[in-house]
Order: sequence, then C-alpha cells, then structure tokens
Amino acid sequence: MTDILFSSWGGVVVDNRGKESENYEKIEKVSLPEQFAQDENINALIGWYGFLLRVQDVNIVDMCRAYLTAIQNESCGKCFTCRIGTKVLADTLTRICRGKGQDEDLEVLSRLAEVIREGSKCNIGQSGPISLLDALKYFAKDFEKAIQDKNPIPEGNYTYKLTAPCMDACPIHLDIPGYVECIKEGKFQESLSVITNKLPLPGTLGRVCVRPCEEHCRRTILDEPISIKHLKRFVADNNLEKNKGMSFKPTPSEKTGKVAIIGAGPGGLTCAYHLALMGHEVTVYERHGEPGGMAAMGIPDYRLPRDILGFEADQVQKMGVTIRYNATVGKDVKLSDIDKESDAVFIAIGAQTNTEMGLKGEDKGYKGFIPGVQYLQEVNMGTDPYPEGKKVLVVGGGNVAIDCVRCSFRIGKDDVNLVYRRTKNEMPADHVEIRDAEEEGVKFHYLTNPTRILTKKGKVIGVECIRMELGEPDESGRRRPVPVEGSEFVIECDILVPAIGQAIDLKLLEGEEKVETTRRNTLAVNEFTMQTNNPKIFSAGDCVTGPSTLIRACAGGRKAAINIDRLINGKELKATYEDCFDKLFEKVKVFDSRENIGFLGGRKRLHLEMLPPDERKQTFDEVEKGYSQLEAMSEADRCLRCYRVGMIAV
Amino acid sequence: MVNLTIDGKEVAVKEGTTILKAARFAGIEIPTLCYHERLNPIGSCRMCVVEIEGLSHPMTACNTPVTEGIIVTTDSPRLQKMRMETLKLLLVKHPLDCPVCDKGGECTLQNLVHEFEIEGTVYLAEREDRESLYPTPLIHYWPDRCIMCLRCATACREIKGLGAIDIDGSGFNTSITAVNRDKCESCGECIQVCPTGALTENLGEYKGRPWMVNRVMTTCTYCGCGCQLEINVFNNRIVGVTTKDGIGVNKGSLCVKGRFGYEFIESEERLSKPLIKKDGKFHEASWDEALSLVAEKFKGIKASHGADAIAGIASARCTNEENYLMQKFMRAVIGTNNIDHCARL
Repeated sequence: MTDILFSSWGGVVVDNRGKESENYEKIEKVSLPEQFAQDENINALIGWYGFLLRVQDVNIVDMCRAYLTAIQNESCGKCFTCRIGTKVLADTLTRICRGKGQDEDLEVLSRLAEVIREGSKCNIGQSGPISLLDALKYFAKDFEKAIQDKNPIPEGNYTYKLTAPCMDACPIHLDIPGYVECIKEGKFQESLSVITNKLPLPGTLGRVCVRPCEEHCRRTILDEPISIKHLKRFVADNNLEKNKGMSFKPTPSEKTGKVAIIGAGPGGLTCAYHLALMGHEVTVYERHGEPGGMAAMGIPDYRLPRDILGFEADQVQKMGVTIRYNATVGKDVKLSDIDKESDAVFIAIGAQTNTEMGLKGEDKGYKGFIPGVQYLQEVNMGTDPYPEGKKVLVVGGGNVAIDCVRCSFRIGKDDVNLVYRRTKNEMPADHVEIRDAEEEGVKFHYLTNPTRILTKKGKVIGVECIRMELGEPDESGRRRPVPVEGSEFVIECDILVPAIGQAIDLKLLEGEEKVETTRRNTLAVNEFTMQTNNPKIFSAGDCVTGPSTLIRACAGGRKAAINIDRLINGKELKATYEDCFDKLFEKVKVFDSRENIGFLGGRKRLHLEMLPPDERKQTFDEVEKGYSQLEAMSEADRCLRCYRVGMIAV
Repeated sequence: MVNLTIDGKEVAVKEGTTILKAARFAGIEIPTLCYHERLNPIGSCRMCVVEIEGLSHPMTACNTPVTEGIIVTTDSPRLQKMRMETLKLLLVKHPLDCPVCDKGGECTLQNLVHEFEIEGTVYLAEREDRESLYPTPLIHYWPDRCIMCLRCATACREIKGLGAIDIDGSGFNTSITAVNRDKCESCGECIQVCPTGALTENLGEYKGRPWMVNRVMTTCTYCGCGCQLEINVFNNRIVGVTTKDGIGVNKGSLCVKGRFGYEFIESEERLSKPLIKKDGKFHEASWDEALSLVAEKFKGIKASHGADAIAGIASARCTNEENYLMQKFMRAVIGTNNIDHCARL
C-alpha cells in the first residue's frame, strides 16, 4: 500500500490521481517517509530524479518555482546554462505564480529546461530541470490554468538541502565536490579549509579513512571512483610541506563554558576542535602519553606516520585546547570530579579492549598470547611484544587483524599467518590492505577457525584449527561459516594474536552516578544530540557505536560539540533540520548505482606510487607516496560534481 | 595512439588528447568561447558540446579526453540549438552595446552572435545590480558585459600564479571580484584573455577601434626579457599595447610596465633634447654641444684623477648591442674596468 498520489522518481511515472486509495499503484523506485521532523508531515518531495506528491493540495507550479529558485541559489555560476538558464526558469515560474504568466512561457520553460539539463557542467544544472520537465508533461493543465487564471498562487512551505552522493555517504558530510573542485583549480589552501570546516584531521583521514564516499562516487558507474581519500591527503601534505599550519575561522558563541573531554582520539579531538572554535575552554584527558587514541595506538606508522597525527593534534592544542596526557579517568582522576568542574563532559574513550574468542585458556596469560589491540599498541610504541616468538598467527578478518600481520614482518617476524573463518570475499578489512598484505607475503588461511590453544610450559606452541564451509546467510547478509566435522589440524606458532573484534571498557563509570549503557555495553545516547541520560554528559565514537570507523567518530564528536554549545547557551537540544534531511535521504537514497548517466567514461583513476613489497615490509616507512600537484589536479578533474538539491513540501 | 571518428573523418591522436584538440588536428572547427590555448580547459561556456554515438548526454569537447573507437558528431540540429540557446542566455545580461565597446570588432561573443544570427535579447531575468570591485585603477571591469567565462581568473591563477581575482557570489549574481586584492600586480593578463569587452584598460578607452589601429610588432624595452608586443597606433599616436597569444618568449603575457607603461612616449615632461645646467638652471642644447661638454669633463677627470675615477652603469632598457658598446667605450676609450649594470644590483 502506498499513499503517494504521483511519482516521476527515476523516470518511472506512477500516476494515482483519480484512483481510489486502495487501488493506488506501488512506487518501486523510492520510499518517502511520512514525517520529516516531529509533527511535520512530508507532503511532497522534489529532487534530482523527479518528484513525488502525497497530498492533493500541494501546488505543483509553486513547488517548481520554489525548487528552481533553490537550484538558482545553489548554482555556482561556473557554467552559462545553469547560471543564467535556471535564473530565467525561476523568474518565469515566479511570474506565473504571481498571476502574470503569458502563453508563450510554457514553451520557453520546456525548451530551456531541456537545454540546461543537457548542457550544464555539473549535476545541479543537469538534475535541476528534470522535475520541471516531468511536471510540464504530466501536470500541463495546472500550468495552463495558472497562466489563464492570472491569480497569484499562495506560496507553499518548503525546505531544502544541498547534497551529493559522496557527501551523503560521508558520516560528517564533508563537502567533497567542493574541496575536489578547489584542487582541480589549483586552490589548495581553499580546499583544505573546506575540509577543516568540518574536522581537524585531513592528513590522518587522507590516509586511513575507509572512504564510504568512494563507494558512492557516481564516477564508478562510468569507470572508477575518484580517489577522494588521496586527494584529501594531497591538500593536507601540501599544506604541511609549505609549513603553513592550518588556518581556522573561530566563531565564538555568546556564552562560553568549560568542557572536559575524555579521550584524545579522533572523536575527542574533533569535538575539542569545534568547541575551541566556538570559544569554549576545553581540557582533554588522555590515558596515553600521546594524542590520537586508536588512530595512534592501533594504526601502524607505515599507514599513518605519527608526525601527521601529531601535527594535527598540535593544531588543535594551538587553538587553546589543553591535553592532559597519562591521565586515566576512573584511576588518576574521577569522572565525578571532572563533572563537577565542568559545564559539560564528552566521553570518547573508544573501544580499547579485545573481544574474546571463547577458547579455553585464553585468560591464562600464556606467553605468546597477545590480543590484537595490545599487540599493535606495543608495536606502535616501538617495542617487540614478544621478541622470543618468530612465527605469528593472527585470528580475524578486520583491519586490526591485517595491521597485526603486516606489522609482524616489520618487527622481524619471518613467518606470518592469518586465519579467517570465512573467505576473502566476506573479509571486512579494506580490500586494498588485503592485497598489500598478500604482496608482502602473509599466508592467509581462509575458512579456518581456531578451536584449541596448544601450549607447552605456559608458552603458546600452536593452534588447533578446524576447516569451515559457508552455509546460509546470517543477519549481516554474509554466509554463516559452519565447521566441517573431523577436519581439525594444527598450525604451529609461538605468537597467537586474536583480533576478532574490540570491546569497550567502561570502568570509568564505576562508582559514578548512573550513566545509561546498552546491552552491547556501549553508552546510550540520543542519536541526534549525543547526550546521555545525564544532561551534562555527552558521548560519541566507538564507545557509542561499537567498534567503527574514524570518520564516524569525528562526525559524532562534531555533533556533540554543537550540542554541548547549545547546552551551555541554554538552547533546546533537538534534531536539526540537517539531521532530519539525513534521515530522509537515507530512505530516498542519494546514490543509485543503476543510474544511466550517459557520459563518456574510460578515464581511470590515478594510482599512488608505492614502495615495493620486499622493501616496505622491512620498515615502518609510509608505503604509499602521495600525489604530485599535477597528478592531484588531474585526478580532481575526473569529478563529476554531483551536487543535487532535495526539497520537501511540509 | 587513440583512434576515433569525428564527423566521419578518421583521426588518430595521442592518449590524453581532448576531443577539441583532436578535431582541430583534423581541421574541424568546434565553436568555443571559454577555451584558451594557454589555460586548462574551463568548461564554462558549453559551446563546444559534441555528440558521441551511443551516449545520451552531449559532452564538452574541450575537457573530454578521447577514448578508443568513439564516433563524434560536432554539428547537428540538437547541438546547434543548444549553442544558440546558450548564446541567447548570455544576452540576458550582456548588453548589446557593441557600438561603444572597446572590444567591438574583435569580440568572440559578437562574432558568435553574428554567426548564429541572433537578433536581440530574447529572455529576461530580474537583475540585482551590485557593485563589483576590481583591484586596480588601470583595469576597468564591466560586470554587465562579463559572461563569466572565467578565463581571467584562470589566467591569473594558472599563468601568473597569483589568484588575485576569482568568481564571487552564486547563480545569476556571480561576478569577478578581487579575492586577494594585495596579490594583483596590474599585469593585465586578464584583459589579454578576456573574449569580450568585460575587461578594458582605463588608459585607452575610446581612443580607437580595433580595426582602425595599426598594430606594430616590437620588443618591449623595459627589461632584458625581450617580450614581444604590438604597439597599437592610431593617427600616429600610441593608443594601447596588445600581444599575440603564443608569440615570443612571453607567449602573449606582459607585466604591468609592458602593457600599460606606454604613456611616457607622449608625455609632455619627456625630454626630447639635451639640457645643460648653467647657473643652477637647465638650458636646452644641441647634441653636439652636450656631447662635447661630456667629453671635455671626462677628459678632465681622467687627467686629474685617473681613468678609474670614472665608472659606467648601463641600463637594463638598453639592447645587448648598446650594452656591448658601453663596455667597449669604457674599456677602450676611457680605460677603466669600472662597469656595471642596473640589473645586477
């Protein structure tokens, strides 16, 4: 059952006008939620693939006027057709809505709309007129009536947001087409400030982001996605090379306060950064002796050199943020004391411990049994966790597991194995990382699961494993691995590294006034405001989401900062219109991988130069070299600039 | 090499070549307005749209690299309509003030409007006039005439490496503005690349139409670079300096002196005769008188203090030959090695 009266979304027209509601034809292309915000119903949607009407009383002519006016507002002015053409469309529609339309207007509208759609440089102009063309075709009578009646049409209530497939996929909604375009035009500093508008870690994310944006890059439909991550790295490195420091634009709030942040990881640093921009006094408590959290402790130097993260954390400190190192909250400092001294507290402690494998003896403290996170931490601190051991076996298929195996070569282990219970296809680790590890000589044992730890005199000497096969898909959609009975075999090793997942250590909450947690042992927060049940305490990052990505932690940190600022300024904490649009776009889908773009493809991405496998596996030197200026500009030129406007009638 | 077909002609070009360059190589002209040889393709004007067989969307030839086997059409009713409509849209803002425009007669837009036989302004839009500030008193920016092709801003960034001017605003109300006023050197590169009369020089307005002036190619005398430029002469007076794209070491670029520093030639304060100071006042003299006086003084100094009491400093505005003669004179006639050159200081 649908309640949609008309849809032209995605070029498929479903016209339910004049039908009884039980006979309404279903809309296959898109689902439109009923509500936008609380008590605000969505009456119509107009956007990049067409429009949907839910109720009869939305005036289509007026909606087109509002939409084309929005398109004209968002037009960058860098191509003739969109800059002037959408202005003529918007003005003509406005004139019709004021009751001053002329008969020839309709012909002008459709002629120009077609030229703008086909002739514009970017997706604003290419997608902007689609709905108008649909409306002129299927609601011609409404337009004719508006021109003949010569009565002004009352303006409806609309709200819109500019988005793009990549921007929408990015948890923090970085203006990716914006900074990529700056690179294309050689405006590298401007590009950097587009990024630092949202977060302080461009060089870090430019190296290790899992880049959901690239999966939603519309260029993928033509050939390959843009190298968004490497472009981000380029602007950060370019700035670092020129020794420029980052330029920030502070926007002090009316009322400022004292905020304590627990954890100097990506979430904590991003939150501190935004709070500092708004003029608040921020103290960060970090249990380690250096900043970065999991990005420093969990990511090896060959992927993310320490000085990059260090430089970016320094920039945040230069803005006036104090970081207190080697201060573990719950041990050295009490949460309640911090709470008393501050106007708000932000908890961003991440997921710092390992999930257990459920094998006997796991907690016995065998020599050579080193959990993944701990293993990486020690390697990153510059020590060999167990010099005696030479043959390493890592269990798991995520990025931590891959980091563990690749690190092992670099600290001089010569036999490195990885066991994973499913196949390479199901591995959650970054496929590029898997390829790099293969090149470096890691032995992968797929469809294999450890069943028993073999020890001698308290030392690990091997692992008994069992072969697996893939059965029915589980709730994650991946096929469930099932053990093959009687297929046990032994892999000899003297270091066993379980890296099957991370857990959250909430010891800092012990003995404190109750802060609500979930069944998954994460902190419970409001998804829009990041506020816990204690109004003064906010939280985001892995300790809320469970082990997740760096960029997601940054997004959470930013959101928390905005809401902490609201709290200090006595404003109401609620979902913003941006949050509501995020929810809406989740349903409406900004990216359609089956879209027929109709452009010429065949322009593949520029790959980064890499150290050869034999050389790189010996050192912690960064494996990937960055783009040169010309390479970056040429790669940026592949961007299709898929900005698009989504508007609803409420 | 990549093989493709353009308007039925088979062409083979190097990988990475754009469709526009491949077409020009094959002798096929595609109309352009924003494209400029010395700049990376801008893609703002949409005049160079072409159709590629099998693709629903027209592509711009200037910034689309060729791929193997594509079949390109550069002229069709659909493409002509798109180009025509784009030009009509430009005339929403661009006034048809060609009779008073300094660029009239050598304006790309004027030529295209003429070629497409567009008779006047067809479309209308409400305009908000806003003052737009250009960074320099030497250059006049006409916001209405500006079609926002962005050649000027691109040239400022890519050729001069300055980035003093850029697009500002959004939609119909965008204009070119001094985003980094301090960086502007008044070099006039923006004027040189402007395809319309949106940028003109303040020194030469209304002094002569392009087709009436005589353009004399010469070498700039301001420094030793040897930039090639054309002196625009009307009624035996210099009314401007232009360059030809790609000509000379400067390839069409000039600095502020080369482009705008020509008024001294007609200056009333310019010395055209030697002056000799007598009793604290300068008096006009003939060249013979002046040179004899100098020779006499040199001789006197040489006799009483020796040749090394005299030094010669040459000007960067002299030619190599003149500089050679100067050092020869100092060494052979005066008898000193005390010679130098202002460019070394």
